[in-house]
Amino acid sequence: MLPISYWRNRKIYTRLLGSRCKKCGAEFFPPVKVCKKCGSREMEELEMPKTGVLVSFTKLTEPSYEFEEYVPLYLGFIRLDNGVQLVAPLADVVEEELKPGARVEATVRKWAEDGEEGIIFYGYKFRVVKQP
Amino acid sequence: MKHNSAILGYGAYVPRYRIRTEEIARVWQGGGSGPNKMKAIASQDEDILTMSYEAAVQALRMAGSGPIQAILVGSESKPYAVKPTGSILSDILGFNQTLAVDLEFACKAGTEAMQMISGMVSSGVIERGLAIGADTAQGRPADDLEYTAGSGAAAVVIGRRNGNEVARIEYSVSYVTDTPDFWRRPTRPYPSHLGRFTGEPAYFHHITSSVKQLLSDTGLKPEDFTYAIFHQPNPRFPVEVGRRLGFTDAQLRPGLLNEIIGNTYSANTLVALSAVLDESKKGDRILLASFGSGAGSDAFVIEVNSKPDDDGYIPLKERLKNYIEVDYSIYARWRGKIRK
Amino acid sequence: MEGEDKEMSKVFVRSAGLIPVGEYWEKSIGELMYEAASKAIESAGDVKIDRIIVGNMFSGYGTHQEHLGALLASVLGMAGTEALKVEAACASGGMAVHEGYLSVKSGEYKNVLVVGVEKMKDIDTGHLTKALAMAESAEFTQAVGATFISLNALLMGAYMQRYNVPEDQLDYFPVIAHKNGATSPHAQFRRAVSLDDVKRSPPVAPPIRLLSSAPSGDGAAAVILSSEKGDVEMLASETATNELMLFQRDNPLEFKATKAAFAKAIKRAEITKDKIDFIEIHDAFPVVSALSLEAMGFSEEGKAGRDAESGKYNLDGELPIATFGGLKARGHPVGATGVYQVVEAFYQLTEKGGKNQVQGAKVGATQNVGGVDTTSVVHILRRVS
Repeated sequence: MLPISYWRNRKIYTRLLGSRCKKCGAEFFPPVKVCKKCGSREMEELEMPKTGVLVSFTKLTEPSYEFEEYVPLYLGFIRLDNGVQLVAPLADVVEEELKPGARVEATVRKWAEDGEEGIIFYGYKFRVVKQP
Repeated sequence: MKHNSAILGYGAYVPRYRIRTEEIARVWQGGGSGPNKMKAIASQDEDILTMSYEAAVQALRMAGSGPIQAILVGSESKPYAVKPTGSILSDILGFNQTLAVDLEFACKAGTEAMQMISGMVSSGVIERGLAIGADTAQGRPADDLEYTAGSGAAAVVIGRRNGNEVARIEYSVSYVTDTPDFWRRPTRPYPSHLGRFTGEPAYFHHITSSVKQLLSDTGLKPEDFTYAIFHQPNPRFPVEVGRRLGFTDAQLRPGLLNEIIGNTYSANTLVALSAVLDESKKGDRILLASFGSGAGSDAFVIEVNSKPDDDGYIPLKERLKNYIEVDYSIYARWRGKIRK
Repeated sequence: MEGEDKEMSKVFVRSAGLIPVGEYWEKSIGELMYEAASKAIESAGDVKIDRIIVGNMFSGYGTHQEHLGALLASVLGMAGTEALKVEAACASGGMAVHEGYLSVKSGEYKNVLVVGVEKMKDIDTGHLTKALAMAESAEFTQAVGATFISLNALLMGAYMQRYNVPEDQLDYFPVIAHKNGATSPHAQFRRAVSLDDVKRSPPVAPPIRLLSSAPSGDGAAAVILSSEKGDVEMLASETATNELMLFQRDNPLEFKATKAAFAKAIKRAEITKDKIDFIEIHDAFPVVSALSLEAMGFSEEGKAGRDAESGKYNLDGELPIATFGGLKARGHPVGATGVYQVVEAFYQLTEKGGKNQVQGAKVGATQNVGGVDTTSVVHILRRVS
């Protein structure tokens, strides 16, 4: 990731800032310029709900070079409580807990580092909600 | 120092992962155990920013909406040597009109943050602020400290008293000297210490000094407190210092966590405060005394007011039950003790 | 491509050339293009190329070489000829053929050389994975560590749940591809694999395994498209797009780009889909094969795996796919793949299929996608009798 790109998107990465159509109310993540439902260009910022369900997951052992320190990298196809879908890294994984339909919540974790001397990229990760 | 502020919300975060000290002993000594059973370790994708975020989110939710005009993060394991953790956290939490500073004073940087925020609130300079102590403590492999150096974070939202506050900060005392018990030079990965010298001249001297001054200033006696929290570098020290100062095991027990999470350094006494506030009731009085190597101690009188109104809140000790044990190799990899 | 213009030219595939997909440590990207292009030029007879179009995905990132159009013109000794590069991720090759088709169709050009090329082996796996992930959003897909294969893995998991399909039913697709690849002279992997082999191969991004994932390789393929009547006519070349990001689609299991491109192609070619004798599909992963065949209506939703199991898509089945091994066994040098498909269709329609010949093939199709059905290119070709 490019550090300036990270800076530009930091609110999207750490707060799940998306957008909502002022005309039809459709919600999107990441934010869009034009509503994919009604074509309106009048969009407003909206933070996504931080909870949802896991649809499917995978365990990546050959990521791009930027993530090699973090293998295995677990990724989830997540459907948030407002219906918005996204792919997100998973945190604190116990594989047996990664059942389709499992409740998940967003937190902020380290995504990667831009080398030993570079900046640290933080962003959303989801974890299974486990009531003690 | 008399305070006129309140704890409006609090949160503690301890990572999900644990390593048993007998596992550490297996690697270095061929068996046995450490002074504690296990310690909490941050996952590979956690650092004091992410742990502070977790604790802050809890504290802010409990405190309810309102401004945060100062964010002070106390830690000795900052992600950056130069670049404030406080400003990253402020941005993530959405508070940009705020003072944001990182503090360091070994294990007492968290209570320093609490002192300073409380001072700013008491003086009327700010309405609400966020005090945080967090560490992913570094223990040199095979060193005595490796058995206890844990990871965790705690956050306290401090604001003006409003009648519904969780607790009131009434009084504090700080005591410092130049004592070389434990330190870390700028480019070194692990701290150094002087072994048993960290006991009497450091830990015991500073905590007894601050607490005696506190009791003298306020006219309070040990029996006037429902709970007492002393910095816990291991399971034994807080019990011993409590005994010397005239406190009972019953006053100490609710805040003792070292046995299962280790020493969370800058988070240490604030994590314990979270556990105590979870079970305290209106009218309870809490004595809290931190210790930071180098050395110093902050002692506080805190009076409990009301239970927070937060349905989703899960008490810390309940959350601590949901842990995953890892072995030394995973721990070594995650904490950068072995490298590709 | 709406409307009909009687002045427009018909488009024929005049000649074709390719090199086997593999590891060309000693050859540069220019040399790969040169070899494939030379074969097409040598078999084209006396021809003057008036436009060169190169399909390629990541030469800049993978070899530090851009400006492939001018590079190819130079190495062919054809400097002066109009030349350009076309990029549409893994559909770059198909898109280059599409642009070549339009060039000839428009009447502006008579003979267009289209070359697809990718050099994947000059960079290590970590950087190759990054290059492939560039098909989706840099800021919102790559940023979270999602690779191209992981998107397909998440999609496969969702497919298996939605249609209650077991993993090993989808794994018939690589079995078919490898069976055909075993006798394909230009395949990267010329050996058959069993369903058990696929199931026992190591997971690379579960449920996707090593043997259910298209390999990486260097490759180049070329065709000369011409307005001059030849043995194979390109009846249609159509493309469409879907949302860039798989998970920003209402239904990630719907391959809308392939569906739209195929529908337009059928209409343009003025045929019905049952006239198609074989199709080179974009079988990068089993779930892509399944969703592609379902989007084009060859299998019902959720039934492509069952159809694969039944033999429908075998070389001697109702609708052969991956006739020379497909992406899985012939290989998938990403930006070249769409051109390989057209070359292979040309071979089938000119009876040059050898052991892989689809008997009596008169009409063939190709489907090449970039991203996870983000760009889809469909070609329909016919043997001129």
